[in-house]
Amino acid sequence: MFEFESIAVLRRFPGLALLILFIVLFSLFSVFARRFLSAANIEDLLAGYSFMAILAIGQAFPIIARGVDLSVGSNVGLGAMILFDLNAIFGVPGYAAIPLAIAACALAGALNGLLVTLLRLQPFVATLATLAAYRGGVYAISGRQLYPEFAMHSIRDPWIHSLEAYVDVGRSLGLGRLMKFPSIPLSFLILIGVATAAQIVLSRTRFGLDLKTVGGNREAAHLAGIAVNRIQVAAYTLSGFSAGLVAVILVARFTTATEAAGTGMELTTIAAAVIGGVSLQGGTGNAFGPMLGAFLLGVILIGLTLMGISQFTQQILTGLILLGAVLYDRTTWDHEQAAHARNG
Amino acid sequence: MTTSEGVPKLLRAEGVGKRFGPVEALRPTDFSVEAGEVRGLVGSNGAGKSTLIKVLTGAYRPTTGRILLNDRVVQLGNPHTMLRQGIACIYQHSTLISSLSVSDNIFLGRQPATRLGLVDRRRQRREVESLIADYRIEIDPSMKAGSLSTVKQKEVEILKALALRAQLIFMDEPTAWLSHSEVQKLHRTIMDLKRRNVGIVYVSHVLDEVFRVCDSVSIMRDGAIVWEGATAEIDRPKLINIMVGEKLGRASMEAGAQVRKPRGAGEIRLSCRALTRKNVFTDVSFDLYAGEILCITGLVGAKRTEVAHGIFGSAPLDGGQIEFGGLRARFRSPKEAISRGLGLVPEDRRRDGLLSAHSIADNLVLVALDKVSRFGVLDGAAQRRLAMRQTENLAILPRDPSAIVATLSGGNQQKVLIGKWLEADPTVLVLDEPTVGIDVGAKAEIYTKLRALRDAGQAVLIISSDLEEVMAISDRIAIMVNGRLEAIHDTGAVSREQIVAEIGGD
Repeated sequence: MFEFESIAVLRRFPGLALLILFIVLFSLFSVFARRFLSAANIEDLLAGYSFMAILAIGQAFPIIARGVDLSVGSNVGLGAMILFDLNAIFGVPGYAAIPLAIAACALAGALNGLLVTLLRLQPFVATLATLAAYRGGVYAISGRQLYPEFAMHSIRDPWIHSLEAYVDVGRSLGLGRLMKFPSIPLSFLILIGVATAAQIVLSRTRFGLDLKTVGGNREAAHLAGIAVNRIQVAAYTLSGFSAGLVAVILVARFTTATEAAGTGMELTTIAAAVIGGVSLQGGTGNAFGPMLGAFLLGVILIGLTLMGISQFTQQILTGLILLGAVLYDRTTWDHEQAAHARNG
Repeated sequence: MTTSEGVPKLLRAEGVGKRFGPVEALRPTDFSVEAGEVRGLVGSNGAGKSTLIKVLTGAYRPTTGRILLNDRVVQLGNPHTMLRQGIACIYQHSTLISSLSVSDNIFLGRQPATRLGLVDRRRQRREVESLIADYRIEIDPSMKAGSLSTVKQKEVEILKALALRAQLIFMDEPTAWLSHSEVQKLHRTIMDLKRRNVGIVYVSHVLDEVFRVCDSVSIMRDGAIVWEGATAEIDRPKLINIMVGEKLGRASMEAGAQVRKPRGAGEIRLSCRALTRKNVFTDVSFDLYAGEILCITGLVGAKRTEVAHGIFGSAPLDGGQIEFGGLRARFRSPKEAISRGLGLVPEDRRRDGLLSAHSIADNLVLVALDKVSRFGVLDGAAQRRLAMRQTENLAILPRDPSAIVATLSGGNQQKVLIGKWLEADPTVLVLDEPTVGIDVGAKAEIYTKLRALRDAGQAVLIISSDLEEVMAISDRIAIMVNGRLEAIHDTGAVSREQIVAEIGGD
């Protein structure tokens, strides 16, 4: 029967189902939400969700290793504040401050990894603890609170500033006169770079396969001679690294760092990763899925906003979408288990 | 055996021992294997086989002794070193990653890389294909490991070892989930490996297989090797006696010669008519009498487990009638089945049956909570009394109800699982593969217990692929092939060969 076959195809290419869903929702909002399909709105979508997509790709690494990083949001806040302090208070120029902030976030990620491996804490518990601790750190080092004169200070460093740029694709392709094209924010181009690199790492390198092995069957990984702890620490470090990138992008965008920057992002990134086919059971996932997942959330939330649905409803909706994605993950997993039992 | 002086032993362990805190899991032991030798390693659960294998494959670092490979001392306690030196192990439980392809699994942790540091998939595929051709194993290297059947997964594990150009392969209970023809196929591969001068250590509870494929055998007991020699120099009774001691050995020998009671007391406890589940099983009908043991046998995949779960209410049924104790019954949930007096001891004790992180006592009361609680509150003293009674009754070791289940040997875990169901006083008890992976001694004890249940008038239904077991314990044998119940025989009136032919084995 046609219907069953198409479902079978979707099962074989889980990314395809996501892409179709994305296109369907995008088309629906284009028709029903006024201003949705406008260049300005597409710009908003790209600028507002590219960083979320970067974070979701970072989040995919611990999840593939059968963990989770709840501290990403706080880590973003920490990185942003470090960048702000370095530049505003200590006068460190952007070309030095940016790598330092990213390194600090990667280090904070590595610390998560060490808590999980050396202290053998549950990833959920370890990163819940650092979620609180890193956020506390943000308040403790907040230059805006320590030095009242910096409260309204905005970053003017040319290096940091240059990251908040838009590329006018329409003009560079010479099509600008035909119709108005959205300008592509630089953060989206960074995202494309990150996603491509992450995809190659996950599918084509030893590290990527080792990561899936550790997440799929920890004991088997150990017996195959894989340095399990090192792989896990690397996964959390990469998640921290992505938080650092996002911190820099956010500071560039808002020319300041607030104490609340990044709050709540952990949920959105986990939702995006799971929607993107990164199984919470560990062992599976790619980089493009989380990216698409993040933009899917973006399309839904922005589309609903344009249709006049309140911000609070959106938060409820994010929760519901996460729940739905986890349930879907659970059922496909059960399905595979059942299929396996049938074969066995 | 090809023993000649001066030829270096493939692997030689000298005085290796392993201690976990105060517990000596492996007493200092010598062990060696030659190239092209198939060595059987047998012993009861808890005799130290697993510890010895883990020490030899580098998964554990021994507390004493040293290991030599081709007369060179190797670094201890590092699985990676041992793998690189060509020591592979096929573990009883799958070590495949279901989300990765067959060829990625075969090269797990040591994928070939191109100059750019990317995995060289083309080279990987070429090597896998040449291995597949070489050993005539039919498998698609691009399939995801999770979508393969259990047998195919075992073959992938073997390919994994072969791809290492392993000089020595440990096989821990390799046939535990294989059907008869598959076992023979595995044995042909072993003979092939032997011809190519690969050493093999074959760990199995199935003594028939040990006698069939092994050149020599090492018998372990209480954490040490107690006998070693050519398979030709020892026979089955002697081997069992050494392995489990005189008394249990005799009990397990006697297990074969028992009075059969087909149709027991004559009262039908469970009657199934035309049970059907679409695309799974069709038209399954049988009666189970009080005071008999009925075994359902067949190949892996004959859907016996699915029938049992259908009756128990833990899997759907699309058609058919069930009468339980003379009344119509179609249980919608295990809870309902249990309350009416049906018990099911599931196949995979680690996944479906036991709370491994909890104590023996906690596990034993699980289905009999009503008995030890008043107004919903657990009565600690009653729980302890019940737990003590079952640990005595089933001779569970250690005799300490507060011991954590995960620390027990497989046989003792199985006893806890059975004990748990005995406490619910079922009138019909269904057991799915009750003795897979447990040793002769524990098997004999479990058989004795099941017979006692039968003699007390309970109806016992056993699903088993182990023909030795089926012939030993059943009063009647039902045969399932591909989701159909083909025949029911009185055990005394049918030969083992006839059953092998009927279930579709070789």
